[in-house]
Amino acid sequence: MGKVKIKKKSTLIDMTAMSDVTVLLLTFFMLTSTFLQKEPTIVYTPSSVSEEKVPMNNLVTVLVSSADKSGKLDDPSIAEGKLFISFTGDADSTLSSEKIRGMMLDEAISIYNEQHKNNRIALSDQQKAEFRTINMIGVPFSELSDVLSMSITERDKFMSDMTDPKVGIPIDDNKNRDGRLNDFQVWLKAIYNVAQRINNEQSENLSAEERSQLSNLYTALMRKGQGIAIKADKDTPFTTVQMVFDNLQTMKLNKFSLMTALKSEDEPTN
Amino acid sequence: MAQIDTSDKGGKKKKGAQKKMSIHVDFTPMVDMNMLLITFFMLCTTMIKSQTLQIVLPTNEDVKKEQQSQAKQSEAITLILDTEYNGDKPATDAETGKTIHNIYYYEGIADTTFATNKYLQKEQFIGNVNHETQGIRKILRSKNQQVMEQYIKLKEQWKNKEITKEEFDKAAKQNASDSLKTRPVVVIKPGPNTTYEGLINAIDEMNINQISRYSIELPTHTDTVLLRHYEQANNETIIRPTVRNRAAHMTAATAEGESTPNP
Repeated sequence: MGKVKIKKKSTLIDMTAMSDVTVLLLTFFMLTSTFLQKEPTIVYTPSSVSEEKVPMNNLVTVLVSSADKSGKLDDPSIAEGKLFISFTGDADSTLSSEKIRGMMLDEAISIYNEQHKNNRIALSDQQKAEFRTINMIGVPFSELSDVLSMSITERDKFMSDMTDPKVGIPIDDNKNRDGRLNDFQVWLKAIYNVAQRINNEQSENLSAEERSQLSNLYTALMRKGQGIAIKADKDTPFTTVQMVFDNLQTMKLNKFSLMTALKSEDEPTN
Repeated sequence: MAQIDTSDKGGKKKKGAQKKMSIHVDFTPMVDMNMLLITFFMLCTTMIKSQTLQIVLPTNEDVKKEQQSQAKQSEAITLILDTEYNGDKPATDAETGKTIHNIYYYEGIADTTFATNKYLQKEQFIGNVNHETQGIRKILRSKNQQVMEQYIKLKEQWKNKEITKEEFDKAAKQNASDSLKTRPVVVIKPGPNTTYEGLINAIDEMNINQISRYSIELPTHTDTVLLRHYEQANNETIIRPTVRNRAAHMTAATAEGESTPNP
């Protein structure tokens, strides 16, 4: 009787082709996508037909938090209307986000200290360096020093708690303040000043390239209204957003943009 | 594929020749690593870029009456926005899942004599249904007919590649602000219960209908009177208590002399 011979088959699968495909996919994802910016809270922007893209560079984003959607809070509106601000410089030039943030911070602190002579704040160089690395900040000036001393994890945890009264840049209806600015206005003024001063002053110790970058920022802010973008949730009441508008108007920043998602509309025949 | 076949077939084995060997490179770990990287990129990046809507607001300093520009009565149209609420969340349409926004509008100056029933009319943002403009879009479009006719012609030209995108944008902008044409002046008044989406929808309608003159204002006392009358006549409840009080860290802001429709 002949033995039944079982053919020995190699179980090796050639993974080379698979590897090719995955590398291609990886390349595609790396080239087409941009990294998500860390934001303390998630908002769902309303959609519009506007096709204008949010500029990548020289942008100040004002994030307005939405009411709590988890349903865990008795009063979801506690979390509503907290302001966060982020500064983005130009990735391609020497005037990077870090440098812009540093200039804004110095200017903002000097404005704040001028306004609050009895409650001056002072930051150490280390804290200032820390500030330059943060994408989005949303605390009152009085808390700034504490928050900048925290570790990254601690800070993220602190800033994402919308129920904490210490989170969010203070804002009010700016009525009857005898010319005193609230914290949000101090930031706006700092942005305005930094952009304008360097646009006008030629004696600044900056390179020609840096100056041209700053004057781009100035043009974006003042002329075209592309420098400031407001990002708010679609279910946020208008009155809350209106307060941000009102403060921008007071600071003479009448042109700005609203962030929206893209919506497509079919063509009507009539 | 990834192996080097060093076996020489048919040839006689020479003495001292190297052993036959097939160099297999196992690519499985490489694939594993690539997959991990792809997962990382898919989770940590975004491919959607936000769009922006440009907005220009007037100064909020006190402007003297004489300096205020007056719109022609025949051109003016006022939209009072409102969002329906279900408890403390915006109410959504059962079919489309969209938030329900109501628009109460009147043309010209407010008719407080209530002589006709046209002092306030109710509309919604419907957009286009079966390629026909509906709701508030239809009304705004008919008001801006002259501009829209030219705009459609321009769009045709652009689609037929007679003009470039830049030329089209420029011509469309010029067309929208052509003072020789009859163009409406729209006043958008978001009520206290309006959500941000309602406002964006309204500004969006302005862009879709090529309306270059519009402003955003807070509702006045007259508007409240109109809404109250409309409520009684139609047995509806529009003026409800404000759904959400402004959070404690934001103090109440109601400009002097302006009353929001809030009992």
